[in-house]
Amino acid sequence: MKKKVLLIDDEKEFLEVLSERLEVRGFGVETAISGEEALRWIHKSEFDVVLLDVMIPGDNGIEILKEIKRLRPFIHVIMLTGHAKIDTAIWGMELGAYDYLIKPIEIESLVEKIKMAYDSKSAQQMRARQEETRPIHKKPDRNRFLTVIYNFFHGFRRDPRSKS
Amino acid sequence: MYQILKKFLSTKWSKPPLCEKDLRIEFRARYHNFRLLLNSNKRVLEAIARIEQALRDKHPFGMPFVRTNCTTISVEVFRMIKNLEELAPGRYKGLHTKFDEIQHILNKLLSHKKPVRDEKFVFPLSSINRDKADLVGAKMANLGEIKSRLDVTVPDGFAISSAAYQKYIGHSNLQEEIDRRFQTVAGNHIAKLSQLSTEVQELIVQSEIPDDIVQAIMEACFRLGEGKEKEVRVALRSSALGEDTAGRTFAGQYHSELNVGPGNIIQAYKKIIASKYSLQAIAYRMNRGLRDDDFDMCVGCTVMIDAESGGVTYSRNPMDIQDNSIHISAVWGLPKPVVDGSVACDHFVLSRQKPMSVISQEIKSKESRFKCFPQEGQCGIELLKEKRNMPSIDQRQAVLLAKLAVMLENYYDSPQNIEWAISNDGTIYILQCRPMQQMEKAARTSTEKIARPKRENVMIQGGIAVSPGFASGTVFQLKGGSDMIKFPEGGILVTTQALPKWAPLLNRAAALVTEQGSVAGHLATVARELGVPALFSVSDVMNLLRNGDQITVDTDASIIYEGRVKAPLMDSMVKKDIIEESPVYNTLKETSLYVVPLNLLDPESLEFTPMNCRTLHDITRFIHEKSVLEMFNFGREHGSSERASKRLVHHAPMKWRVLNLDDGFREVVDGKYVKIDLIASIPMLALWDGIVAIPWEGPPPVDGKGFMSVMFQATTNRSLNFDQRSPYANQNYFMISKNFCNFTTKLGVHFSTVETVVGDLSDENYISFQFKGGGADYDRRIKRLAFLRDILEENGFSVDIKEDNLIARLENQEKDFMREKLNILGYLTIHTRQLDMIMSNSSKVYYYRSKIRKDIRDIVRSQRSESESIQ
Repeated sequence: MKKKVLLIDDEKEFLEVLSERLEVRGFGVETAISGEEALRWIHKSEFDVVLLDVMIPGDNGIEILKEIKRLRPFIHVIMLTGHAKIDTAIWGMELGAYDYLIKPIEIESLVEKIKMAYDSKSAQQMRARQEETRPIHKKPDRNRFLTVIYNFFHGFRRDPRSKS
Repeated sequence: MYQILKKFLSTKWSKPPLCEKDLRIEFRARYHNFRLLLNSNKRVLEAIARIEQALRDKHPFGMPFVRTNCTTISVEVFRMIKNLEELAPGRYKGLHTKFDEIQHILNKLLSHKKPVRDEKFVFPLSSINRDKADLVGAKMANLGEIKSRLDVTVPDGFAISSAAYQKYIGHSNLQEEIDRRFQTVAGNHIAKLSQLSTEVQELIVQSEIPDDIVQAIMEACFRLGEGKEKEVRVALRSSALGEDTAGRTFAGQYHSELNVGPGNIIQAYKKIIASKYSLQAIAYRMNRGLRDDDFDMCVGCTVMIDAESGGVTYSRNPMDIQDNSIHISAVWGLPKPVVDGSVACDHFVLSRQKPMSVISQEIKSKESRFKCFPQEGQCGIELLKEKRNMPSIDQRQAVLLAKLAVMLENYYDSPQNIEWAISNDGTIYILQCRPMQQMEKAARTSTEKIARPKRENVMIQGGIAVSPGFASGTVFQLKGGSDMIKFPEGGILVTTQALPKWAPLLNRAAALVTEQGSVAGHLATVARELGVPALFSVSDVMNLLRNGDQITVDTDASIIYEGRVKAPLMDSMVKKDIIEESPVYNTLKETSLYVVPLNLLDPESLEFTPMNCRTLHDITRFIHEKSVLEMFNFGREHGSSERASKRLVHHAPMKWRVLNLDDGFREVVDGKYVKIDLIASIPMLALWDGIVAIPWEGPPPVDGKGFMSVMFQATTNRSLNFDQRSPYANQNYFMISKNFCNFTTKLGVHFSTVETVVGDLSDENYISFQFKGGGADYDRRIKRLAFLRDILEENGFSVDIKEDNLIARLENQEKDFMREKLNILGYLTIHTRQLDMIMSNSSKVYYYRSKIRKDIRDIVRSQRSESESIQ
C-alpha cells in the first residue's frame, strides 16, 4: 500500500520542492493550494498524512482541520504556520492535529516530520487492527486468573506460563 | 479486601493476555510512542536552552523569537502528555489541568494588546492634548497641547488615529501576513531584513484602505481648506505610539510627506504607515528590544507652511549634559535639510541668561534651499551667490526662537528638540516638539601618541585585533563555564577559544584576549558592538599570562604590555544594557518563569506529582521520568520473555539488566540472559567499554569525619536505607535500540541516568547525563557535584547544577566523538560514586582528580587505538 500525503499550501514553489523530496522517499503526493481544493481531495481519495498551512489565504486553517478530522479521523494532520500563536497551536492539537510546525523550517526536517507522522499512523493502524482481532483471546480462563494472582503476590515477575 | 481484589481483577481482566505476536505489535506501538515522547522531550529542552541563552546573552531578538519558542514548547509538551496517556491510559491525571493553567498564563502574557478607548479615525488638532497620546501618538499630542495651552503658533491640522491604523492593518489580515513574513525570515541578517522591509512596505501600500477611513480623512482635509481661496496643502508626518518619548525618539526612522494635495493624501498616508517597516525602524526596534505591536502608526496632517527659513532648536547642548546653552541650526527654506543633514546649515548658540543673546554663530555657505512647488511636492533650488552666505535667520529671530525653546522646555519640564519654520510674513510656526536626550560629555580625542614603550614592557606581541581599543586591567583566565560567575568587573578576559557563550561577560570586561578565533566570529562581533578591545589568535596566551597579572592590551599594535601603561586619551565608550530592560526582553523573561525553571528535582520524593508541576519544564521532567518507568513495567506486566528485561552476562561485579526496545540485540534472544556480544546498541556498547575499562578500586579510604557523616546520614535519612528491597535498588538498567540507550544506575543512594542517541546523523546525536544523590551531607555532595562538573566541562559537556542535581548535555557531534564521551560517562558513573566521603580532604581530592584525569586519558587512548586497529 502506497503511503499517501496531501500538501496544502499557497506557495507553489514550496509545494513542488517538497513533493519531489517526498516522492523520492516513496510517498504518493497530491497538492492543493486552497482549502476548497484540499477538501475535494479528501473526499475522493485516501491519505495517510496531510500537511496544512494554517495561514492559507482566504481560508481558515482551523476550519479546514476540523473538516478533515470530521471526514477522516485517522489522517494525521501536520499544521504548518508562519505566524506562531500558542492558542491556535493548542486549539489545533486539541482538535486532533498531529503536530504544529513553525516556519522557517528546512525541507529536510519537514520531510522527516512527515515520515514520522506516517510511521506513527501505521503503528496506530496496526494496533487498531490488532484490537479488532483481539476478541478471540478475550475469553477469561483459569490460567489467566492464576497468573494474575501469581503476579499479585510475586511482584509482577515474569509470567511463568510463557515459553518463548 | 474483597473490594480491592474485585477492582484489581476488573482492571486486569480488561487487559487479556496477549499472544506473542500481539505483544510484539503492542510493544512496537509503545516503543514508537516512547520515541516520539523522547523526541518531543529533546525539542522542549532545546527550546528551553535557546530561551535561557537569549536571556543570558542579551542580544537583540524580536517577538517572533519569543512566540516561536513558547509555541514550540507548548506543542511538544502537549504531545508528550498525549504520548504518556497512550503508554499508561488514565494513570497520570492532572497533567492536562496543569498544562491548561500554564497555557492560560502564557497566552495572556503574549497577547498584551490594549483595546483602543476611542474608535474615532480622525481628531482635529485643536481637540488634542497630552491625554490623547495613546490615540494619536505623542508627537501630535504634544503639538495639540502647546497649540491650545501656550502662546505659540502651530499650523492647523488633524491627526489620523491608532484606531484608523488598527482597522487598516487588521483589514484583510494584513497584520497577520506581515507577522508571517517576519517570522519566516530567520535571524536578523541585514540583507534579509532589507528585502523583507521592501516587501512589507510594498504590501502595505498595495492593500486597500477601508472606505470609512478614507472618508474621515477626506472630510478632515476639506475642513482644513474651508474658507481659503487656494486648495489646501498639507504635510504628513508619523506620530507613532511610543515614538518621541525620552530616550526613544525614533528620529528619522519614519517617512514624512510634504506639500500634499487632497488628491494624494491617502497615498501619502499609506506610505507613512508603511514606513513603520523601514529597515532603520525594524533594526531600531530590534536592537532595542521593542515590540512591533506596541507601535501603532498614527499620522499627523498639518497645513503646509512654505518656509522662508527653517530649522531645529535644541533647548540644551545635546552632546554635553552640563551645557545649558540653546543650540539652533537653520537653513533657507524648508527645515528638511537640517533634519536629514543634506545641506550645510548655520549654527547659533545662545546663552540662557537674560537678556538672551547669541554667544556664537557659524554661518555656512548654503548652496540650495528647499521650496514647495506651486502645485504639490517640493524641490531643492540653487540659491543666489549673495544669499548663500547670509545668515538664514537674524539675531532677533534667533532670540525669539531661543525664548520659545525655553518656554517649551519649562512647560514640559525637560529639554526639547523643536522643528520650526518662519513664513514670508515672519511668523514662527512650531512644526514638531519632542523631548531630547543629552549625552555624557565625550572625552577629547587626543592626537597624542602613547609613550613609546620600553622593550621590557612588552610581554607578548602578536595576534589579530578584532575590536579596536586600548585597555588595562587584571588578567582573568576563563577555563570553563563555571568560571563565568567569578569574572570580575573590569577584568581582562583571557581564554582559549573565542566561544559565543562568553559574550555575556563582555559587558563587564575591559578587554578580551584569546588563543583562537577570528574576526568574523560572533564573539568578535559582540566585542565590536560593545566597544570592548579584543585581540584574538594570541598563541599560548593561557600559559604566558597568569591570573591576577596586571596588563595592558593595545589592539592597534597587537601588543600586550606588562603593568598598566598610560593610555592615549580616548573617546569615552558608553556601554549600555539596552536589551535588558526592553519590552521584548521583559516579555520573554516573564513567560520564561512559566516555562524554564525546574522545580521537580527528585523523582523519589512525594512532591513528584502532576499537581506540583509549576512550569512546562516540570511537566516535561515528570513525563519523561514516568515514561521510562512505563516502558520497563510493560515487559514485567506482560510477562513476556522476549519483551522483558534480561540480565547481562559479564564479569563485572554488579547486576545489569537490559531491555531491548527494538533492534538493540543482534539476534532474537530467548531466556533470562543476554551476552554482551549480542548487544547491537552503539551507545550501550560505548558506555559499557567505559564501565569495564578500569577496575573499580572500591570505595575510597574514608577518613573518620567522612565515615561519621555517612553513618549519621544513614541513621537519620530513611532514603538511605541500604537494605531496601525495591526492584531498582542496586540495579542497573539499559533500555536500548540500535542507536538509543537509556542507562539508569541506582547504586544504593547514587542515582544516575544517561540518555543518548548515537548514529550516523550528527544532528540527531545527543547525550544527556543526570546525577543525583550521595551518602554524605549536603555540603560534600555539592562539592562532589562541582568536582564532577569540572571533569565533564573539561570533556566538552555543558553542565548545569540545581541543588544536588547535576545535568550535563552534549549534542550534534559525530558518532566517534559521541562514543568517546560515552566511554568517559561509563567510567565516571562507576568511579565517582562515593567520592563525597573524601570531599573535605583536599589532598585526597587532588589525588582522585588526577587519577580520574589520567584514567580518562588512558581510556580515550586505548579506545582510539582499538578502533584504529579495527579499521
